[in-house]
Amino acid sequence: MSRGRRLGLIALVVVIAVAGFVIAKSGSNNKDKSATVTETTKAGTKEITSTTTQVAPVPIEVKNAKPVGGVKKITVNKGDPVRFTVHSDVSDEIHVHGYDFHKEVPKGGTVSFDFPAKIDGVFVIELENRGEQIASLEVQP
Amino acid sequence: MRPRTAAALGAAAGLALPALAPGIAGAHGLQGRADLPIPSWLFGWAAALVLAASFAALATLWPRPRLQKVEERPLFRMPGWIDPVCGALGIAIFVAVVYAGFAGTQEANRNLAPTAVFVIFWVGLAVASILLGDVFRAFNPWRSVALAAAWLARRFGYVRRVRPYPERWGRWPAVLGIVGFAWLELVYVPRPVGPQTVAGLACAYAAIQLVGMYTFGIETWSRRADAFGVYFNLFSRLAIFERRDHTLYVRPPLSGAPPWPALAGSAALLCVAIGTTSFDGFSNGPVWAKLNPDLQSFFKDIGFGTNGALMAAGTVGVAIAIGVISSFYILGIQGMKTVGHGHDARELMGRFAHTLIPIAFAYALAHYFSFLAYNGQAVGYLVSDPLGHGSNIFGTAHATIDYGLLTGATIWYVQVGALIAGHVSGLVLAHDRALAMYPDVKEAARSQYWMLVVMVGFTSLGLWLLSAVNT
Repeated sequence: MSRGRRLGLIALVVVIAVAGFVIAKSGSNNKDKSATVTETTKAGTKEITSTTTQVAPVPIEVKNAKPVGGVKKITVNKGDPVRFTVHSDVSDEIHVHGYDFHKEVPKGGTVSFDFPAKIDGVFVIELENRGEQIASLEVQP
Repeated sequence: MRPRTAAALGAAAGLALPALAPGIAGAHGLQGRADLPIPSWLFGWAAALVLAASFAALATLWPRPRLQKVEERPLFRMPGWIDPVCGALGIAIFVAVVYAGFAGTQEANRNLAPTAVFVIFWVGLAVASILLGDVFRAFNPWRSVALAAAWLARRFGYVRRVRPYPERWGRWPAVLGIVGFAWLELVYVPRPVGPQTVAGLACAYAAIQLVGMYTFGIETWSRRADAFGVYFNLFSRLAIFERRDHTLYVRPPLSGAPPWPALAGSAALLCVAIGTTSFDGFSNGPVWAKLNPDLQSFFKDIGFGTNGALMAAGTVGVAIAIGVISSFYILGIQGMKTVGHGHDARELMGRFAHTLIPIAFAYALAHYFSFLAYNGQAVGYLVSDPLGHGSNIFGTAHATIDYGLLTGATIWYVQVGALIAGHVSGLVLAHDRALAMYPDVKEAARSQYWMLVVMVGFTSLGLWLLSAVNT
C-alpha cells in the first residue's frame, strides 16, 4: 500500500475515533433538558424556561381566529406531559396532528389538553376548520 | 491556486454553511408528524465523517476504471406471464386510486388517492427501485395500456409509422414532469392536495403519456419523456438487479449508472430532482421564513390573490432551490473543464450527470423516509376504506398509524446514513468516470477534486437542510 493510501486511512480512523468519542459524550448530555416554552414572533424569540418538574399548562390565546403572539412553540421531552389551554374568541375545533386529538372550543371559551408525549417529532396544532396553525409541538426523543 | 487547495477551500466553505434556526413542521402534502431537526452534535459528526471519507477515498480508490463496462451475471429467466400480470395489476391499482380520488371523501387523510400517490408511489417506489431494480417499468399503467394496444394492433395487422423523437428534446419532458409533480406537492395551495385534484391530474398525465407513446413509439417515449418512468429508472441503476427481456441479471451495486445515456436534459433532471427535494427542506427554514412573506406581498401588490401570491412565491422558491443546486454543479464542471483538454463543459455536464444519482436518492430518502414509514402505514386502513365512507373491505379500517414504530433518533441516523452513503457512492462514480475520461493519471486526479467539492457541497447542504445547529 502506498504512503498516500496509508495516510488517508490513518486520518480516517482518527477522525472516526474522535467523532465516536464526541457523540458518546454529547449524546448523554442531551438527556437533561427541562421543558421550555418559546414564543415566536416577528421580532425574535423569547424563551421561558420552567425548570420545575410540575409543568404548568401553556396558555394559547386566539383572537380573530389567529394566535396572539404568533405560532406558539411547545417543546417537551418524550414521556413528559403536554399541557396547554386554548382560549378562543371564535368557535372551532382544535386538532393536534400526529396524536390526532380533536377538541371543540366554543366562541369565547377555553379548552385544555393534557396528554403524555408518547411520540417524538414536530406536530402542528391548528384550528381545524379554518386551517390556521396556532402552535407547534416539538417532542424531543 | 492549485486545484487541491481550491478543493479544500471549497469543501470547507461547503461545510461551514452557518446553520441557522431549526426547521419547523413540514407537511409534504399530507399532515401528521414532521421530523425533528438533526441535533448539532450529529450534524458535526456527519460533516466530519463526510470530509474524512472523501479525502480517504481520493487517496485509496482504484487506479483503473472498474464500472464503465457493466459486469452482470444472469440469475434466472422470468416467466412470460410476468409482464401482462404486472401490467394488469398496475392498471387496476391506477383505476382504483383514480376512482377513490373522484368518488371518495375530499378529506386528504381519509382518501386512498393522496397517500397512494405521494407516499407509496413517489417515495415507496423510489426505495423499491434502489432495492429491486426497475420495478415500475413492469407495473407502469400507461405503458401497459400502450403495450396492450400495440399488441392488439399487431394482431389486426394495423401498422403505423412512428415519428422520430427530436433528439434535442432529450429528457427535458421528464424534467418538466418532475418539476410539475414537486410543485404540486410543495407549492400548490390549498394543502394538503385534494383527492379530486390528484385523480384528475393522474388521468391528464396518463393521457399525455399515451399520446406521446403513440406518436413517438413506446420505448423511445418511455425512456425519455415519461417523468416517472425516467425517475424510477434513474434509481434502479444503483440496484444490483436488472431485468432485460425475460432474464434477471445481477451486477455490482452502482454499476448500472455509468451506462445511463447522457441525453439532453440529463444533468437538468438530476439538478431538478435534488433541487425540488432541497426546497422541501429549505421551505421550513428561517431564510424562507423571511423571504416568503416579502415575496407574497410583492405578488399581492401586482394583483395576485392570496392563494395566487402564495403559489407564485413558492414557485420562486423552487426556482431558487433548483438554481442553487444547478449553479453548484455548473461551477464544478467549469472547474473540471480547466483540467486537461478535449472536453467541453457541455460534454462534461452530461458525462458526470449520473454521479449525482446517489445524491438525489440520498436527498429523497433523508427528507421522505419518515413520511414513508408513518404515512405509508395509512395504506393499511385506507385499502379497507379507500373512499372514506365507512367501508371495511379487509377489516383493517380502524387501524391507525403507529408512531412508536421508529424513534426520532432512528430517523436521524437513517437521514445521516443516507446522505453519507449517497456521498460516498457519488464519489465512487465520479472517480470511476474521471479515470475513464482522463487517460493521464494526474489529470484524472485533478478533475476529481472538482467533483469532490461538488459532492461535499451537496452533502453538507443536505445535512444542513435537516439540521438544527443552533440549539
